[in-house]
Amino acid sequence: MTSPPLVLSARDVRRDYPVAGQPVHAVRGLSLDVSEGEWVAVVGPSGSGKSTLLNLLGAIDRPSGGSISIRGQDVARMGDAEATRFRLTGIGFVFQRFYLMPTLTAAENVELPMSEAKVPRAEREARAKELLRYVGLGERTGHRPFQLSGGEQQRVAIARALANRPALLLADEPTGELDARTGTEMITLLDRLNRDGTTIVTVTHDEALAGAARRVVHMRDGAIVDDVTVRPL
Amino acid sequence: MGQLRPLSLLICALLSLGAGVAQAQAVNAAPPARRTITVDERLATAAGLAVGDLVTVTTVAGTVGDSVRIAAITRRGADPSEVARSEFRVRLHLEHLQTITRSGDRVGRFAVQSRTNGANAPALSRGVSLPVSPGVSAASVAADINATAFGFRAYPAVEVAVETSATFRVVNRFHRAIGIITIVASAIFLLCITLLKVDERRRDIGALRLLGVSRRSVVRAVVLESSLVALVGSGMGAGFGWAASAIVNWYYQGFYDTPLRFAMVTPGIVAFAVTLSLVLGVVSGYLAAQRLVRTAPLELVGR
Repeated sequence: MTSPPLVLSARDVRRDYPVAGQPVHAVRGLSLDVSEGEWVAVVGPSGSGKSTLLNLLGAIDRPSGGSISIRGQDVARMGDAEATRFRLTGIGFVFQRFYLMPTLTAAENVELPMSEAKVPRAEREARAKELLRYVGLGERTGHRPFQLSGGEQQRVAIARALANRPALLLADEPTGELDARTGTEMITLLDRLNRDGTTIVTVTHDEALAGAARRVVHMRDGAIVDDVTVRPL
Repeated sequence: MGQLRPLSLLICALLSLGAGVAQAQAVNAAPPARRTITVDERLATAAGLAVGDLVTVTTVAGTVGDSVRIAAITRRGADPSEVARSEFRVRLHLEHLQTITRSGDRVGRFAVQSRTNGANAPALSRGVSLPVSPGVSAASVAADINATAFGFRAYPAVEVAVETSATFRVVNRFHRAIGIITIVASAIFLLCITLLKVDERRRDIGALRLLGVSRRSVVRAVVLESSLVALVGSGMGAGFGWAASAIVNWYYQGFYDTPLRFAMVTPGIVAFAVTLSLVLGVVSGYLAAQRLVRTAPLELVGR
């Protein structure tokens, strides 16, 4: 049986930055491989480097050393414009605070990345509707963020993250702003996404969310201290 | 009508030659009497006069004067120098004026305007006769008078108006200076407001950058938005200015009884305002957007 292809390959990644004149080693020589179809939950105490790692993987931040390859593209060497373009088409982001545009409707928020990627209007409208139906908001496409609950806003954010069919979905504490019941609904949705083939890396403190992932990576002091596959592909 | 009315009048120094009236428009006309005068609308209204009425003109109130007929009622021109003048005006033939004032030919200043009806052009003054052809300009008539007559100098009415409006040119420059200062102050204010309003949306812009929206797209969106705001704002400003000028004109034209327009919103002013506003909108939007897109997205979203 052949193993699925790698979506993500990080090698000896370091991220150092100064704080009050002292160097802080947020990520220390970390290596991580993620295969297509995996759902990896990165857990660890605050300050362990989880969010820094996610920013590096998502081409939001640049590593001080090492290499990060996503679908064969070296993220660590990208310039600003290239990294921006890569974030648009290669990566889907889900943030703890949703970051929806308050003046746009749910459908328009989902269309936004496709609009930036120059997807034709008819195609992006159809896909936005399809994605919103997928996350259970088919009847709320015309609602603006303030008319939606926290859970619904996060669903819109997930639909938006999937708009340009990214190779990898990165989620930073996706249940962090949600109550327990809505958080459970979000975990169910992520699980469905993963079962339908989406590769996911989440950073979380939520044990329930980590428990739902196929693989759990524990970090401490900027390094991986444990890597457990709970449910193999 | 036709009733003799005693009237003492202050006779002003500005005269017109013949029945031609400089910068005045005849409202109504009647067959001329033996001696005729014209009165302005303000006097006609105040004294209840009409064309054809007989009145007595004299230089001293209560003394025996000259009985004359009102030939026309005139309306004053829109001359800024006359706005605040509240006196009544009567226009007489020069010869008549000299007679009733017993001033002989001691006329120090008068205005000349050519008549389009040159056939009825009167003699200029005692001893000086100057034919005036139809369509001839006031300036050339004045030049002819000055070349012919000795002891006085003639000016076209327009020149007299310009000379007497020198004060208003100063006021106009003063207003222009105030306008420029206001525009500069408004520009700085608009720039600061735009910077603040765009900065309030740093989280949204940070999120857009995190999602992969390019710097160029963010700048374009902000500039487009600020330009639209500037366009709508300048349109509203022009509308407000037009309404305000209409109110100002309505009030002061009634107050001073003059057709003079005190405030104007011309197409040139609107074009200038819209252009300036658009330029300010584009520049302020561009500067504000550039300031944000040069900041790291994570910093913009507060992480």
